[in-house]
Amino acid sequence: MIDLVEQLVHGLTLGSLYAMVATGLALMFGVVRLINFAHGEFYMLGGYAFWYAYAELGLPYPVAGLAAVAAMGLFGLAYERAVIRTILPRTWHVQLIATLATSITLTNLAILVFGTQPKEVPTRLSAAILDVGGIRLAWQRVVVLVAAVAIFAGLEWFVGHTKLGKAMRAMSQNREACAVVGVDVQHVALATFGLSAALAAAAAALVSPLFNIFPDVGALLTLKAFAAVIVGGFGFVKGAIAAAFLIGLAESLAAGYVSYAYKDAIAFVVMVAVLLVRPQGLFGRRIGI
Amino acid sequence: MTRIGRGVIGIAVAVGLAVGLGAEPPGAGAQGAPPIRVGFSSAMTGPSAITGEGVKWAAQMVADEYNAKGGIAGRRIELYFGDNAGTPGEAVSAVRKLVDVDKVDVIIGQTHSGACLGALPVVKELQVPMVIEACSHPKIREQIGKNGNEWAFRVNPDDVMLANQFAKYMVQQVKTVSIFAQNDDFGRGAAAAYDAAFKKVGIKLLSTEFFDRGQADYRPVLTRVKRAAPEGVLLVMLASEGSVFMRQYRELGLNQKLFARGSMGTVEFLYQVRDSPNIADGLVEATYWTPALDPAWEKQWMERWKVPVRIHGSLAAIAFRYAVAPAIEAAIKKTGKADRKAIRDALEEIDVPNTPVGRVKFDDTHQAFINMLLVQIDGGQLKVLEKIPIQP
Repeated sequence: MIDLVEQLVHGLTLGSLYAMVATGLALMFGVVRLINFAHGEFYMLGGYAFWYAYAELGLPYPVAGLAAVAAMGLFGLAYERAVIRTILPRTWHVQLIATLATSITLTNLAILVFGTQPKEVPTRLSAAILDVGGIRLAWQRVVVLVAAVAIFAGLEWFVGHTKLGKAMRAMSQNREACAVVGVDVQHVALATFGLSAALAAAAAALVSPLFNIFPDVGALLTLKAFAAVIVGGFGFVKGAIAAAFLIGLAESLAAGYVSYAYKDAIAFVVMVAVLLVRPQGLFGRRIGI
Repeated sequence: MTRIGRGVIGIAVAVGLAVGLGAEPPGAGAQGAPPIRVGFSSAMTGPSAITGEGVKWAAQMVADEYNAKGGIAGRRIELYFGDNAGTPGEAVSAVRKLVDVDKVDVIIGQTHSGACLGALPVVKELQVPMVIEACSHPKIREQIGKNGNEWAFRVNPDDVMLANQFAKYMVQQVKTVSIFAQNDDFGRGAAAAYDAAFKKVGIKLLSTEFFDRGQADYRPVLTRVKRAAPEGVLLVMLASEGSVFMRQYRELGLNQKLFARGSMGTVEFLYQVRDSPNIADGLVEATYWTPALDPAWEKQWMERWKVPVRIHGSLAAIAFRYAVAPAIEAAIKKTGKADRKAIRDALEEIDVPNTPVGRVKFDDTHQAFINMLLVQIDGGQLKVLEKIPIQP
């Protein structure tokens, strides 16, 4: 029983990470109908920003985390202005190549700037152990789970109760109609990219004390987040969050009870099985925040 | 495509070229006698890029060292680099690029076993000598020298040689073991070699788990290890993964005796865990290089690169200094030239007895037999427990 609970806790931690990254990806697709293949690199850059603020500048953990979130929020805005706005009217082929090229560029720039040695940012919470009836876990994992819930609740409130959030929701349903009724669609798209990049940075600041930061860290993460977005119903944020936790749990249980080497394969088989039964994703909706 | 779109792709290509395919400009320093073109192939990008960066730095150090003395037999050394990304497919491209584009005379590499296995048929086809510095897959020896590929040579011992010795040491400490290994040719080759070696000495192998490099969370598999409850765990992994692994190992409260193959017992690893240097105390690594073998090299490295010396770069330097450089010198002395065939022939004949890693002389399977080391992490420091000569 303890064994099963431990695996479920691992799955929830991984699911939180995937969910925070997938949320940004789903938001971007929902609002501007674009798949950002550089989204994993937002997480990677967020990790390096957090490392710099925490380990190099010596800022306290919460301040360093918020600094990374703010820095990546600005980066997201700049990315939208420099890359996305230019390629948005183009075909999906151009969008795919441009975001992939950005991903490769950012990874190689990270190698040049930060080097290949992985960065580690252990905190007091990542070394402090919580022992509940023989289940041992770092306090940082508790922080990840609690913060993830808070972030998703905050996002839900934002989308449902703020003008900008409502505009994002409206754009996810009909961009043209929004433009007709006077919604500043470019402004909403800009804010969406800022928010998505900030979410990726929040994920990085939360889990970096547990895992390494290295130039390639975003590659596999993009794939997992992408899978969550597909299973959740393309562009449906709540669906992506639920699917991300499903993938995290499937991975953890597969690794714990079947095979660690094939855990990713098993998680993706689960994804394919879900899509065979529900081609529109778990929640049967096409698009909509 | 827009200007910005083209720009982004342009930058990506430029950065890719700069990082993966970078090389000193051809002809640099060529005065009179033509330079000798030496290619280094390793993982310059991807999850294993840390190894390639070390190889690149070491290559620059040894080239500067020789060129400052006027080169080898008056011939300057020119460096070229290929990016194998640690994979067999990319290794083929890296070798072809080094041979067809850079026109190298000899290759040192490929660092990663899978890349080595991928490169072997191509070096044979293109007839370029390749000196392997760190690939320990047992199948390599079955293919080189008299076994078919006369263009490849290996300086480092393989995992069968290491496992047979290491298992004798391990059986004095533990009777049951679980293996946790990288899911690639290196990890799978080593796991098979240790499985066989454990049977010979009477160690019971309880479980073997493989992981893909770049994984974030090892806790699910550590829970499996906890369930299996072995007396010891053999880790086949590199320092970059090892640091995260060790933190999660301690998080779960595991306290099995730890044995390792890869680069856990290195200053690279200790640098990664410098905030908690005792985290891997007691771990014993089977290896063939440690900084204590060459303190001058370690000091020079630290002064130049400002980070602790890296094992894979150091092994590439060993291959250059004690195999390739003597072979080039012998080739020029004997034939007056240092072309691929002359270097290959000379590699078969060199005998360099007193190197920091032992004697470098290739047998008819093109395998050298340098010493094996058992290195322990003790009080956050590396301690050489034993130096074990490996017999042909």
